[in-house]
Amino acid sequence: MTETLQPLPVALLRPLAALALVGGVPSFFAQDGPPGAAAPERIDLTNFPGELVDKVVVPIPAEIFAVLDKLDETDWNSGIALPPEHERGGPLPILALSFGGLVAEGFIAVQAKNAEEIETIGRRVLSLSEPLGLATEVRAHSLAIIEAARQRDWGKVRDELDLTLQTVRTTMERKLRDDQLAGLVSLGGWLRGTNVVTSFIGESYSEDKAELLHQPALVAHFRELIASVSGPAADSPAIRALSTGLARLEAIVAEPGGLAEEDVNQLRDISHSLLEEFYFEKTPAAPAN
Amino acid sequence: MKPALRLPATVLAVLLPLAGAVYGFVNEAISMALEAAAPYVEQGFEVREDNWSGEVEPGKPLLIRHQLFRGNEYWFWAGTSWPGATIQIDIFDSEGNSVGLESFAKDSIAGVRAQPQRTATYYIRVIAHYEKKGEGLSAAERGANDPAEGVGEFSGVLDWGVAYGYR
Repeated sequence: MTETLQPLPVALLRPLAALALVGGVPSFFAQDGPPGAAAPERIDLTNFPGELVDKVVVPIPAEIFAVLDKLDETDWNSGIALPPEHERGGPLPILALSFGGLVAEGFIAVQAKNAEEIETIGRRVLSLSEPLGLATEVRAHSLAIIEAARQRDWGKVRDELDLTLQTVRTTMERKLRDDQLAGLVSLGGWLRGTNVVTSFIGESYSEDKAELLHQPALVAHFRELIASVSGPAADSPAIRALSTGLARLEAIVAEPGGLAEEDVNQLRDISHSLLEEFYFEKTPAAPAN
Repeated sequence: MKPALRLPATVLAVLLPLAGAVYGFVNEAISMALEAAAPYVEQGFEVREDNWSGEVEPGKPLLIRHQLFRGNEYWFWAGTSWPGATIQIDIFDSEGNSVGLESFAKDSIAGVRAQPQRTATYYIRVIAHYEKKGEGLSAAERGANDPAEGVGEFSGVLDWGVAYGYR
């Protein structure tokens, strides 16, 4: 169902849009409704007479951050938690998850407008792409992230972070022929984004903010992804922990009704423990008495 | 306004394929969808790099599931590159109720705007239409140079692409 050809990079839209708007929005944009049939007021989703597109586009953390910013003043700088740089190497699934987490860290740093951290993350992105075998594809994005941060062009940084994810995922799918690895990049980013959002919501709870975490279909998608991991990686402690942790996340977000403060805190703790499998340093176990 | 600045659409039409050529293979349906998105970027919409695309029989509806967040505003743009084909795009909530607030459709591109009332999974319906089944391109569509035999013949499926943006 999905195309394999590389689309035009959205990052090019920003300058092109400025050109397009010099003459105003074209007149056809003002037209209401398609020339043929108008949109029906209701369709029967249980008996849809067509095809369900199987590709899942995972929202980037910035989409959720944008809402959080509308609801409250958020100290994004306090949310940045870039872990120490690990040795290069390790199993590809762990590297893919880490890569997603790192790019999500970049989105947090953009929200904080913290150019210094973004530059560090931009360099780390390139560094982490090397053991993944994607340095050639990522180098230009890394440089663009750093350059945009120096120019304080936050929109451009966001575009480049998104483009980096897209490049890495499509290269994994086409070059490495590994859709699972591409999915793990998305999962790593989603977990880091969810963790920081739950931290902020937990600090200043409201039902409106907690509603942002109502994403059962995405959690189900990630559970299917982890269940499909095959080979030696499937039995690794990290993948098993992710499988168990995602099941716990799903049990919370799939509950009918809104999420209570306690639920949000549980989501925060579970997502943090899962990030310790591939991104954060493991919290030392409390000494036994 | 200077005369040179009155040709943004022309400039866009030239630059978009060029930019795609520099970048690599071009998914033309997605490029069409992104062309539709261009005016909205200046309105503050962040257009996602990830998107949906493929091929579909004319008239066969497609349904895309996607997570939206209450508090954001979204535009979904659709495109098809087959000459003479049209496309429409609508959005529905999980009950099947239309939630599109504004839409447009012009030949090979279309768009729909939504402001979700709750954070949930929504359903984007896309339908590509083409009337001239089994026929080749018209002389006007072929342009000055006739393609080789078989090239430009309608294969029975249309390319389609959907992109989205939020603010």
